[in-house]
Amino acid sequence: MNKKEFLGRLSGLIKDIPEEEKKDILFDYEEHFRIGLEKGRKEEEIAASLGDPKVIAKQSRASCILKEAEKTTSVNNIMRAIFAAVGLGFFNLVIILGPAIGLIGILVALFASVFAITVSGVAVLFGTLIGPVFAWNVYIPFAAVVSIPLGIGLTTLGLLSLIGTFYLAKFFYKLCISYLKMNLQIITNRRNRE
Amino acid sequence: MNIQFKKGVLELCVLSMLERQVCYGYELVNEISKSISISEGTIYPLLRRLKSEELVTTYLQESQEGPPRKYYKLTELGRKKEEELKKEWFTFVKDVNNFLKGSEKNE
Repeated sequence: MNKKEFLGRLSGLIKDIPEEEKKDILFDYEEHFRIGLEKGRKEEEIAASLGDPKVIAKQSRASCILKEAEKTTSVNNIMRAIFAAVGLGFFNLVIILGPAIGLIGILVALFASVFAITVSGVAVLFGTLIGPVFAWNVYIPFAAVVSIPLGIGLTTLGLLSLIGTFYLAKFFYKLCISYLKMNLQIITNRRNRE
Repeated sequence: MNIQFKKGVLELCVLSMLERQVCYGYELVNEISKSISISEGTIYPLLRRLKSEELVTTYLQESQEGPPRKYYKLTELGRKKEEELKKEWFTFVKDVNNFLKGSEKNE
C-alpha cells in the first residue's frame, strides 16, 4: 500500500464523521508520511508500520461518535456510539444490545403512560368545563365537583411525571456515555487497588 | 504481548515521553515503537483523545526541512495524570512481581 492508497482507504472508512474532524485525522497521517519520506523511508514501509487503516478508522470513529453523542443527546447517537464500541471489541453485541433495547423500551413505555395520564386529565377537565357549553355528548361518570379537581390532579400528576421521566432518561443517557468512555480508556485507568 | 495490555500502557508511554520533551507526532511514534512493538497508526487516535481530555495541547511550528509540524505539549492536567499513572504502574508491576515470586516458591 502506498501513501495515496492508505489515506484513500482511511478516508473512505471514516466518511461518516464530521468533515472538520475527518480532515484533522487525515492531516496527522499525511504529516506522518511526509516526515517519514523526509527521513528516507519508503511510502510502502511507512504504511506497513502504521498498520491496518481499518483498525485506525475504528478507533477514530468510536471516540468521535462518542464525543458527538455527548454533545447532542439523541437515541440515534447513543446507538451509533454503542455499535462503534462493539466494533472495537470491547464487549459482545448480545450482552450490550439486550439491556440497551430493554432500557429504551422501558423509557418509551414510561413516556407513553405519563403522556396518557396527562391527556386523560386534560380531557376530564375540559369535558366537564366546556362540554356543556358546546353541547358535546361527553359522558363523565362524576359530578363536576369531583371531575374538576380530578382533571386538574391528573394533569398535574401527568406533567410532573413527564418532567421526572425526562430527567430519568437524561440520567440513563449520561450513565451510558460514561460507561462507554470508561471502556475507551481501557486498562491503565482501571485501578487495581484504591 | 496481549494487545489490550499494550494499548493500556501506550497512554502512559506517550504521556511520559511528553513529560520529558515537546514532540511532533512522528517523533513520538518513532521513539515509542522502538521500545514497544505496536501498529504505529494507533498512536494518533490516542493523541486525539488526550487532546480532547485536555491532557495535551497542540501547536504548529515551522521546521527547517519543510512545512510546519504539529507539536504536542503536556498540560498541567497531563503532568498530574502522568505522575498518577506512573505511580499506579510501578505499584502494579511490584505487586505482580511479588505474586509471581511467591508462586515460584510454592512450586
